[in-house]
Amino acid sequence: MKHPGPLFTLLAGVVFAVGIGIVDLASGTGAAPVAGTASAAGAAGAPTTTAPPAPPPPATSEPPKPEAPARADYAGRVTGGGASVAVSARDGYAIAYVCDGKKLEAWLEGVAAGGKLDLKGAPNAVLTGSFDAASATGTVTVAGKTYQFTVPTAKKPAGLYRATPKVKGKAAKVGWIVQPDGSQVGILTTDEGSTAAPQLGLGAQATATVDGTPVTAEAISGLTGNGGF
Amino acid sequence: MAAPATGGRTAVALVVPLVAGAAVSVVLGVYGGLHTPTGVAVNVAGFSGPQSVKAWLATVVVVLALVQFGSALAMYGKLGGGAPAWVAPVHRWSGRLAFLVSIPVAMHCLYALGFQAFDLRVLAHSLLGCFFYGVFVAKMLLLRKDGAPGWSLPLLGGLVFTALVGLWLSASLWFFTRFGLIF
Repeated sequence: MKHPGPLFTLLAGVVFAVGIGIVDLASGTGAAPVAGTASAAGAAGAPTTTAPPAPPPPATSEPPKPEAPARADYAGRVTGGGASVAVSARDGYAIAYVCDGKKLEAWLEGVAAGGKLDLKGAPNAVLTGSFDAASATGTVTVAGKTYQFTVPTAKKPAGLYRATPKVKGKAAKVGWIVQPDGSQVGILTTDEGSTAAPQLGLGAQATATVDGTPVTAEAISGLTGNGGF
Repeated sequence: MAAPATGGRTAVALVVPLVAGAAVSVVLGVYGGLHTPTGVAVNVAGFSGPQSVKAWLATVVVVLALVQFGSALAMYGKLGGGAPAWVAPVHRWSGRLAFLVSIPVAMHCLYALGFQAFDLRVLAHSLLGCFFYGVFVAKMLLLRKDGAPGWSLPLLGGLVFTALVGLWLSASLWFFTRFGLIF
């Protein structure tokens, strides 16, 4: 065979990819309930390579959990009630917002797949947890404070909203969480700092009056795919 | 260097690598789109999370790719004079190493995250990722073809490099600017 080097290079890569794929499957890192899972390794470089069949998932003593939905919205208060959190997940990606309605807030984004949440946001905000068909649960750290939460699914008009109005001619940002019980909490952030957000009117459109001007808020919903999805 | 060879032989030399590369790109994209992302995959110990692992591994790959670029320029005599004998092995082995280092990153992307399009950065990254491995396979296979036109190897090599830099910009740099240089 002439010039075999490049073939060996490709082959080495395929072998390595297959190895990682086997470890992924064997360690049960959220092996998805999809028939295509076993092709994970083969797809990484060699369409002709067939990955070995997935080993049986490690036995667990936990009862089977309801399957995590691909698209879902959650909203509610953290344990203890010091803040609220909303999580919108869609097809592996999630946006979350945490706020206390006074000063503390954070927008986070990241991975939501296999029933697990792993989100980050500035500055130094981290949210980890899990979600299923009924609720999202986990831990969120914002500005050095850590909260536990278990929040239910949110059906419209409950959920997460944001708006980007102008205040004194400068760009501002508002986030609202509308709770499943209809109450709401939000923060308006401008150059000068954060304050409680004005009331969000929930009609056909979500609207609020910021700095004397009506603004329309955008729902951020994984279910409907609005706002950043 | 770009003297056109006879059309037929040139086409034959190019067609197999390009078709194979295209097939790899499409398979990666289709798999990434159909496979339900698991969100997690094997992790490398010593890092704070899979994102930082990937960002740093990809940075290693880009550094090796810069070695690739420099050594390729030398082999084509673009740095003046003939290339020293060690340049070719350096090119070969830095490339092999870069490819292998990229594999865990790509596997995590593909297995845990899949093909996503929720914003322009992510869509560009997904497309570039599929394109990168396709054009890499094409370039590797083209190395074995003696009849290929002189411009084809630098072109594919340049595309591999460009795609890689695009991948790094749309993920590693984005990660570092958002979260800082964390390990």
